[in-house]
Parts: sequence; C-alpha cells; structure tokens
Amino acid sequence: MTAPLTRVSTEAAPGVKPSRGPRKEPLRRQVTGWLFVAPFALVFLAFLVAPLVYALYLSLFRNALIGGTSFAFLDNYVRAFHDPNFLDGAWLVIRFSLVLIPLQMAISLVIALMLDGIKNWFTRFSRLTIFLPYAVPVVIGALMWGFMYSRRFGPLTQIFDIFGASAPDFLSKNLVFAGLLNIVTWQWAGYYMIILFAALQAIDPTLYEAARIDGAGSVTIALRIKIPLIAPALVLILVFALIGTLQFFNEPSILLKLAAGSITPHFTPNMYAYDLAFGRGSFNYGSAISFTLAAVVFVCVYIFMFTTRKRGNFLS
Amino acid sequence: MSAATTYATRKARRPQHISIQIVLALALVYFLVPFWWVIVASSKDAAGLFGGTSALWFSDRIVWADNFRKLFTYDGGMFGRWLLNSALYAVVGGVGATTLAVLAGYGFAKYRFKGRRFSFSVLLGTVMVPATALVIPTFILFSQFGITNTRWAVILPTLLNPFGVYLMHVYTRDAVPDELLDAARVDGAGEMRTFLQIALPLMRPAVVTVLLLTVVQSWNNYFLPKAMLIDNRLYPVTVGINQWQNIASGNNAGTTSLWSLIILGSLVSVIPLIIAFLSLQRYWQGGLSIGSLK
Amino acid sequence: MKRKPFLAVALTLAVAGALVACSANGGDGGEATTAPPADGGGGTDATCTNTITKTDLPVVTMWAWYPNMDLAIDNFNEANDEVQVCWTNVGQGGDEYEKFQTAIAAGTGAPDVVMVEADRILNFQIQGALSDISPYVTPDIKANFSDGAWKDVSVGDAIYGAPIDGGPVAMIYRQDIFEEYGLEIPTTWAEYEATARQLKDAGGPLFGDVGANNPALLMALQIQRGAEPFVYDPKTPEQIGINLNDQASKDVMEYWGRLAAEGLVGTDDQFTPEYIAGVIGGDYATYVSAAWAPGYLQGAGVGQEEDAGAWRTAPLPQWSAGDNVQVNWGGSAFSVSSQASNVELAAKVALGVYADEATLTDGWVNQIIFPLNQNVLNSAAFNDLESEFFGGQQANKEVYSPAAAAYGGTAYSPFGQVYLDTLQEHTANVSDGTETASDALDAVQATVVAYAQEQGFTVIE
Repeated sequence: MTAPLTRVSTEAAPGVKPSRGPRKEPLRRQVTGWLFVAPFALVFLAFLVAPLVYALYLSLFRNALIGGTSFAFLDNYVRAFHDPNFLDGAWLVIRFSLVLIPLQMAISLVIALMLDGIKNWFTRFSRLTIFLPYAVPVVIGALMWGFMYSRRFGPLTQIFDIFGASAPDFLSKNLVFAGLLNIVTWQWAGYYMIILFAALQAIDPTLYEAARIDGAGSVTIALRIKIPLIAPALVLILVFALIGTLQFFNEPSILLKLAAGSITPHFTPNMYAYDLAFGRGSFNYGSAISFTLAAVVFVCVYIFMFTTRKRGNFLS
Repeated sequence: MSAATTYATRKARRPQHISIQIVLALALVYFLVPFWWVIVASSKDAAGLFGGTSALWFSDRIVWADNFRKLFTYDGGMFGRWLLNSALYAVVGGVGATTLAVLAGYGFAKYRFKGRRFSFSVLLGTVMVPATALVIPTFILFSQFGITNTRWAVILPTLLNPFGVYLMHVYTRDAVPDELLDAARVDGAGEMRTFLQIALPLMRPAVVTVLLLTVVQSWNNYFLPKAMLIDNRLYPVTVGINQWQNIASGNNAGTTSLWSLIILGSLVSVIPLIIAFLSLQRYWQGGLSIGSLK
Repeated sequence: MKRKPFLAVALTLAVAGALVACSANGGDGGEATTAPPADGGGGTDATCTNTITKTDLPVVTMWAWYPNMDLAIDNFNEANDEVQVCWTNVGQGGDEYEKFQTAIAAGTGAPDVVMVEADRILNFQIQGALSDISPYVTPDIKANFSDGAWKDVSVGDAIYGAPIDGGPVAMIYRQDIFEEYGLEIPTTWAEYEATARQLKDAGGPLFGDVGANNPALLMALQIQRGAEPFVYDPKTPEQIGINLNDQASKDVMEYWGRLAAEGLVGTDDQFTPEYIAGVIGGDYATYVSAAWAPGYLQGAGVGQEEDAGAWRTAPLPQWSAGDNVQVNWGGSAFSVSSQASNVELAAKVALGVYADEATLTDGWVNQIIFPLNQNVLNSAAFNDLESEFFGGQQANKEVYSPAAAAYGGTAYSPFGQVYLDTLQEHTANVSDGTETASDALDAVQATVVAYAQEQGFTVIE
C-alpha cells in the first residue's frame, strides 16, 4: 500500500502532464478512451444531466390548485428568494455549517493526530471504532439518538442525575440545533478522521526526526509540520462537509416525528423541497427550490475552492 | 535513527502517551455509547423499554430470542425481505457503480482523447451536486417511463458515482505505469486485454475502496428509495424501519409493540456493514487517502 | 485477482437478468396469496397484508390504517362474492397522504380505495385525484349516515368518500388524581383554568397538555369558540374565505398560551412514546381528545398498568355555562381514487368495508373508532356500553353520543395541510413564549392567505 503513496510524493507538480510520447494520440486510441468512459458517461447523462435539465424545465412552470400548469419563467426563483420558509431554512443550514464544520474538523484532526503519534493495539482499535458510526445508516443513527435524547427513556437523564443536574432536552426548539450537531458529528467524525489519518501516515517520518533534532516538541511538530502537509486533505473534507451540510435532510426529517414542535417541514431547504414535492404535490416549485439549493452549494463550494487553491486542492 | 535515540525518545514520550490514550478512551466512550444502547435496548421488551429501567443497562428480562423471532416473522417476514432488498441494492448498485467508475477512471487516466479535460472538469463539478436535488426530477422522469416503484428506480441512479471515477482516475494515473501498457501493446495485446490483465491488478486497492464506498452509500440510501417506492415489499431496510417508526408513533400496530422490533432491526441492519468494514480494513484505510494527496 | 472484474461484471449481469425476469412492476413474481389483478385492480401489483382465498374474483386494492383493519377486510372478503379486497397499511395520516400524493404525481401507483380524513378530501378532490361515488350511494346507504356526515365527505352534490368514523371531542380525565386533590370536573373553560391552578397550587401534576403537533384539535377548539376558519362554496371553487386570526381564534390561542406560560399545562408533543409514558404515569390530569382516543391510548399501553381503571370522560368544557357547542377532531372516510380502473367495484368496496356489523361492533366496543353509522349510534348496545377503559362508565351515552349529535359539520379548505403545518409552527412559538397568540395567528393568516392567492384562489378575508 505504501508504494504508490511514496511515488505520488515524488511525482511532478500537479497539473503538469509528464511528456509520454506524441501529444496527439492515434484516433483508434482516442476512440478506445471514449469507449472506456462511455458506460459511465451514459449513466451520467441519464441520471444527472437529464434530471438536472428536467428540473430546470419544471422550475420554469407553475402548477396551481386553481389554474393548473402555466409557464412562469423565473417566477418560482423570485418567489424562492422571498419565501421565508426557504430563506429561514437556508440561513439555518449556513449557520449549521459555520458551527459544524470547524467543530468536526477540529475533532477529526485532533483524534487523527493523537492516533498518528502512537502505534499500539489500542489506537488501532480506536481507529476502527471511531470510524464505525459511518457504517450506520443515517436513518438508524438519527433514530438511535432520538431515543437517547428522550428525557424519559434515554440515558441522559440518568447520567445528569448523577451530577444532580437536569438533563437538557435536545429535542426542544432551543437545543435541537445542538442535538442535530451532535448526531452529525458522531456519525461523520470517524470518516474524516480516517482520511486525515491516512494523509498523516503518508508524511515522510524523517521530517519528524529532523525537527526533533532541532528541538521541536510533539505539539510544535503537529502544528508546523503535520498540519501544513495535510492541508489538501483538510480542504477535501471541508468541501465534503460543506456539501453535505448545506444539503442537510436525513437527520432532521427523521427527528421531525419525535420533535414536531421543534422541527418544521421546511427546517432545511432540502426538506422544504421534499415537502413541496411529495407532501403538497408542488413539483414545479419544489424543483425550483432544489435547483436553487444545488446552485447555492455549487457557488459556495467553488468560492471555497477558489480561496484555498494555493493550499492545494483536488481540482487539478 | 539509532537504537539508543529511539529508546530514549520513546521513554520520554510515555507520559504523553498515557494522557493521550485517556482522552482517546473518553472519545471512544462517546462514539460507542449509542451502539451499547442499541445492544441493551434490543434485549428489552416494551415494558423494559418504556417502564423506566436504566437506559444503559439490561432489564431483568432479556428477550433477545423473542425479539428476534418477532422481528423476522412480523408482517410475513417483511424485515427479512427488507434486508435482502438492501443487500440487492447495495451489491448491484455498488458493483455496478464500481465497474463504471473503474472503466471510466482508467479511460480518463490512460487515454488522451479529445474533450478529455473538459469532460473531467464537468465530472469534478458534479461531485458537488447534491444527490437529493436530483431525486425530484428523477422521480418525475421515471414516472413518465413508468418505472417508479420498481427496483430499477432505486438501483439505476446509484450507478452514478463521480467521486468514484475521480478516485480511480487519480490512483490509476500513478499506479499503472504507461510503459507497462505500451509494452503490452507492442506485444500485440488488445486494449481490453491490456486493461484486464495488466492494469486492473495494479488498481486493486482503489477498486476495493470504491466498491466499499459505493456499497455503503447504497446500503444507507434513504431519500431516493423513500421517494421512489410505494410498495413496501421493495423497501430497503432504512426506509422500512422508518415506516415502522411512523406506525409505532401513531400506534397503529394494534397490540404489537413495534419499538422492540425497530431497535433490534436497527442493530441487525448495521451489522453487515460493520462486518464488511472490519474484514476489509486493509484496503479502505489506505484507499481513502488517495483522493487527498497531491 | 484477475477474475475479480469478470466476476463483478458477470454477477451484475446475472442479477440484472434476474431482476428483469422478476417483472418490472414491483411485485415478486410468484406470490401465491396474491390474486392477479383483474378488472378491479387499478394500482400497484398487489401486495396484500391480508390473504385472499377467493382467487377467481376481481381484486380491489386499498390503503387504510385502522388498527382492526385486518378484521374488517377479512369480514368483507368472506361475505362478498363479487369482489375481494387487497389491503395494506402504508402509513397513518400524513405518511399515507405523501404516498398517495406521489402516486397522483406519477400517474400510477395509487390504490383503488384510499382512507382519507375528512379534512383532506377537498385537497385531493381539487387535484382530481378522487372519483365521485354518488351514483353508487343507494338510498339505503344514504340513510345510514347523518346529513352532517355526508356533508363532510361531499363537495357540492358529488360524494367523494364513504363516511366511517368521526371524532367528537371531549375531555378525558384521571379520576384518581381528581379524587386525590378533591377537584371538581370543570364544565367551562374558566373552571378548567381555575381547577388547573388549584391542582398546581396543591403540588399536583400538570392539568393537561397543549402539544404543538395537534393543530387539527386547536382548529376544532377555535371553532367551538365561534371561529369560522374557512368558507368554501364548491359552486365557486376559485373563491375561498379565510379567517384565521379573528377574535375567537385568538381567544383560544391566547387561553392555551397562558395556561402553558403559567405551567398549568404541558407543551409536550403528543403521539410520542414520551407523551404516552407521561399519560400512563399520571403526568397529565386531563386529556382533551376525540372519541377515538381510548382505542389509540389502549393500543399504546395506557390504562393497563398503574393507571388501569383510573380514566373517565366528561363533556368538553364550554365557553359559557350551559352552552352545548360540540366539535370534531379527525374522522375518516374511504375514498375511491381516480386511478381505479373499475370505479363501481371500488365504490362498492369503499361503501361496504367496515360497514358490516361484526367489524363495526369490534370497532366501537374496543373504542378504536367512533362510528358514524346511524344504526350503531342509535342502538342501545352502543349507548349502554360500559367502557372498560373508562372503568365501566357509559362513555357513549354520557359524553360522546351527545357530542356527536350536536356537531354540525365543518367547512374545510383545499389546502388544509399548509394551514395545519403553519398553525403547528406558530403554536410551538406561543408555547415557548417567543410569539404572542395574536401575532402568531396574524402570521398564520398572512401565510395561508399568501399561499391561497399564490395557488390562484380569490381570497375573501
């Protein structure tokens, strides 16, 4: 497993194609290349491009209870940007991202660093168990935590009782934000941690030796050597986290049943789109909301990638 | 590094190690508590669950056997059917997506064809398109073709995994030397043979990683099957358990307390993936780094 | 190792082939218990929870969620030689409606007969999702239900549902708590509040609960005060009167907000295991609920443990002493969807299921439903029933039958779900004090009016 990794670290700079023969490939080879890509391209066109185009098309119409379907051009989008349900939801996922992502990154990074420093059975075991929540379907994870949060049946009440305090109600309107934060962190910290851990493992250990000879302690090594060297991986998980969080749907929609007063059907834009389409039959406006959300994610991510391009990212 | 230095530095690091491992242990507790809760709760009957027994310890009646029996016989063995569905969607979707990703990744990495850079950029861009934004239009499109509420409706969209293509591309680019391929071609081997016999073995770690990731994604899929399927005999286990949860909240299971089934079902549905991860550790622990390296 | 991709591809193709062979329409091919859908089947390939024995008869598919539905279906299938019913429970209330809505959008997948609560019928009818069954309502059947019951399932002269059950609202209370604290049963809302204070001062539990997730109940209570949320005349379907923030509505919202703010009633969501545990444990002295509540509560385990025999029911408190304004919460009908291929057969099923004596009796004896069938309502057996849940009290005679008799019907809107969701959201705000009752209802009015106008209605406020 290590062979390819060290080869990568000595490769030419990203973006530069090492010259390997004539620039223009023979036509036969080009066709073969396309053939290899073709099956995927077909699926891509059928299940990504076509739906997106169709969603765009749908979003240009409106379907009212009185009056049926009519061409609306950009009316749905104008409506979306004045729709408090959408705006509140968008603001919520942005706030959620702003809190969750640094938190998750910090947790994953700290754990990865801890695991990188020590090599014994315990850390191997930890690595695995911390990753395990990723294997739990989101639906199940939310269900588990929903029960855990229950004031009556969950363990929190009992645990807090030991300290003589009353357990917070993570399903209440005030704390449901924190409650969701917890579930997502629990579920994904391990996944990001493994990515960072693998990146840390790929660092040439002689760098550490040199630093230690210079008198650097573990913390300094971590801050000055490790973290900068795994910056691309950090950027990667930031992007993943951003995409995932802006599309927040699964956990709040499961908890909706348990916390009906705290979570509305339009709690996040994705939930709103779902409710519009499948709850009210408003596929047109629902598509517009979906499309708007997708565009927002796109823009956010591109902005983010652009601002971190010097740190290295996978867009090369 | 000399043996003496190693020993000295190792000795100096020990107290640090202890405190770090304590922190790790605490983190472990946090990540493991819900699993423990599920194991304990799945052994209880309704009275145990809701009767005020300690949430993190067993009640005086441990009824795993009974719960298991009920889980797999309720509603004509619906849960077993859901498990099989999940497995089907995960395997077919996962294998299918991986196959497409491997082929496409190889194509992008090893062939310089016209439009390659453009296609690849488009591909990367779409990694950012949320899958859920596609569900609504995909649903309507499928309904035009009359394939909603079928297994295809769930499997086909999951064949799409742009990130898998990216992973394969990055790995293949570096793991499969062009010289080897050229040598094979000079020897007269066809492109497909070259791919299968020369390149593919070298791509194995990435293939397994992508396979694992796509299988996990498909197994955990919730939104897509929920939107597409009406017939509950086609549900994967995620949607099925959610339906039980809704029924249980509305208390329309008559006299059966569905909660025990829901909790045990949750536990059972998680086990296959955990086993998969544990047994394939070697591959994915390294494989996940591929995409992050320069 | 080299074989891996071959295996993978081969496996995929093999499985794909099997899938294709397995029929593209969702059902597993060889299910012995499923009759091939003949004339009657319009929707999905049958996935029946019940077993059909008369396999040569046409099949009608049905979605319903009554707890004793299996009994109803079996009784019907056994007695009927013209058609058989294939039933599934795809979810209760909103969950089923979501699936129905999806099927409407897809143009396929809807069952022939679908259980719809009275307040959602208009919404589906206006989308063209329901079939008019008035041609099949014979005078015999007509006589079985009151005019009010028929009104709730009709749009103009067209009938879109076969009435089954209703939900007259009353106040369930804990006899043991009332006795322990020496409380009198309140007959007016002022007395309700005073008694609640009395209980609180004595250190007792909460007097009741105003869960945000019961908007339909709140709507009913507002109607009791005199509110008229919607005015809709099917003859002018593009017009609708919306009045959600009148004084009556505000009074009711403000009343409950006050009780919540003073800690006299809880604000927990209902229909959760948490709430049920509280109910069993005596956390709430009263439960303002509908006649189907005892069945629901019993199914959840209430009335069987330490609270066995402790429950009683009393008429809903009034705003003025001596009034008899009764309201309704819930109640469903069986509608025929517009995707049914044989509307007549489907209508026969809708009008025939849950209409036989055995099923009805099972329903009301166990207090699962409050039947709207007049034969039952007027029968001595029904009225003399000594409810086990209520410790032998003749609940129907004393409370529910009079309530049902005095109920005059409700005017619903074609977008009830939007209204209820909005009301729910703002009730939660009032409960935790972030919004005053008046502001909350003004916001609800604004939102619903905006929605109605956006949907093309002319709104009269």
